[in-house]
Amino acid sequence: MIDVKIAGQRARKLKLNRRTKISDVLKELGLARETVAVKLNGKIAPEEETVKDRDKLEVTLVVTGG
Amino acid sequence: MLRCSLCGRQAAYSRRYAGVFLCDRCLVKSVERRFRRSVAEHSLISPGEKIALAVSGGKDSVSCMHMLADYCKNKNCELVTVTVDEGIKGYREKSIPIARENAELLGVQHFVVSFKQAFGATLDEMVKTARKRKTGLGACTYCGIMRRVLMNQAARELGAKKLATAHNLDDEIQAIMLNYIRADFSRLYRLGPAYSPKEGFVPRIKPLREIPEKEVALYALLKNINVHLGVCPYAEGIHSEVRDFINKLEENHPNSKFMILRMFDRMKPNLLKAVPEFEIKKCERCGEPTSTDVCKACGILEELGLGREQKTLISTKSE
Repeated sequence: MIDVKIAGQRARKLKLNRRTKISDVLKELGLARETVAVKLNGKIAPEEETVKDRDKLEVTLVVTGG
Repeated sequence: MLRCSLCGRQAAYSRRYAGVFLCDRCLVKSVERRFRRSVAEHSLISPGEKIALAVSGGKDSVSCMHMLADYCKNKNCELVTVTVDEGIKGYREKSIPIARENAELLGVQHFVVSFKQAFGATLDEMVKTARKRKTGLGACTYCGIMRRVLMNQAARELGAKKLATAHNLDDEIQAIMLNYIRADFSRLYRLGPAYSPKEGFVPRIKPLREIPEKEVALYALLKNINVHLGVCPYAEGIHSEVRDFINKLEENHPNSKFMILRMFDRMKPNLLKAVPEFEIKKCERCGEPTSTDVCKACGILEELGLGREQKTLISTKSE
C-alpha cells in the first residue's frame, strides 16, 4: 500500500501491483502527467520512478488554467 | 533510483521530448538557460530598457519575474511589475499579495490596476450584467480584452519599452490551436515571441514561450518560490478542452508541443504577407489606439452600460 495525497484533497491509500511506476498511479487517479508535479517521499521525482510499499506520494496540480 | 542524464545526481524530472532525466539543479539551470536563449535569439530586450511585466501571482508570472529581475540586473535594465485586479471573488485577492511579496523580495516596483477603478465594475459584475442583458459574451472575452487594454495603458504610462507576459509553451500552442479552430486569422498572425504593433501599443514579449508549463511549475517548486496555484472560477469551455487534448497528445506522443510551435514559426513569415494594411486611430471614447472608430473595450463596455471611469491608471506611488 502507498499513501497518496493530492493537494487540496483527502489522503488515500492505494494497493500496488509489482513494479508500479508513478505514471501508473497517476493513470489510476485519472491525472495527466503534464498537469502535475509529484513528490515521492518528499522529493520531486520523475513519473518513471518505481514506487514501493509504504512510499508516500504527494501530487500537486500545477496546470490550473487561470 | 533514476539518475540525471547530465550529472548523475538523483533525477527529479523526465524531459521525455528530449529523452533525458534531469536532477533539480540541472532542470533549474536548463529553464534559466532557455529563458536567456529566447531573449537573445529574438532580441526581446535591449540593454538599458525599461520592462513592464504583467504579474498575476501565478507560477508563470512569478517565475518570469524572478528570471527577468536577475536578467535586468545584469543588463542594466529596469523591471516594473503590474497586476490587473479583474475583481474575481475568491481568486484574485489571494494572488495579489503573492505578486506583491515576490516583487518586494526582488526589489522590483509593483503596481495594481483594477477593472473597478478603470471601468466602474469588477469582472464578476460585468459577467452578471452580461447574463442579464444576454450579450452572448463569456467571462474570458471580457477579461481578455479589458486586461490587454489596461496592461498596455499601464506599461505606456510607466514609460516601459516592452511589455512582458509570462505565456509559456503550452499557452502559446493552445492559442495557435484555438485560433485555428475559431479561424481567427487576425489573432493568429500576432502570435510569436515578440509582437510590435503600431503606435500607441507597447511592444509585447514572451520570454517563457519555449518553456513547457510543467517545467515552469517545477522551476517555482524547486526554487521554493511562493506562487498562487488557484483555479480561476471562469476557466472552462473550449480553452480547457484544447489544453486537455494537447496534454493527452504530448503524453502519448512526446515532443508534439514543440512540433506544433516549430511548424507555426515556419509558417509565420507567410502569414504576415497576408495581413491587410490597416490604420491606427485613437478611440473616440477613451483615446486608446484602435483600428476602428470605437475600440473593442469601449464597444463592449457600452453594451454593459459602463464606460471608462478613470483615465490615468498609474499613480506615482507603487502599491
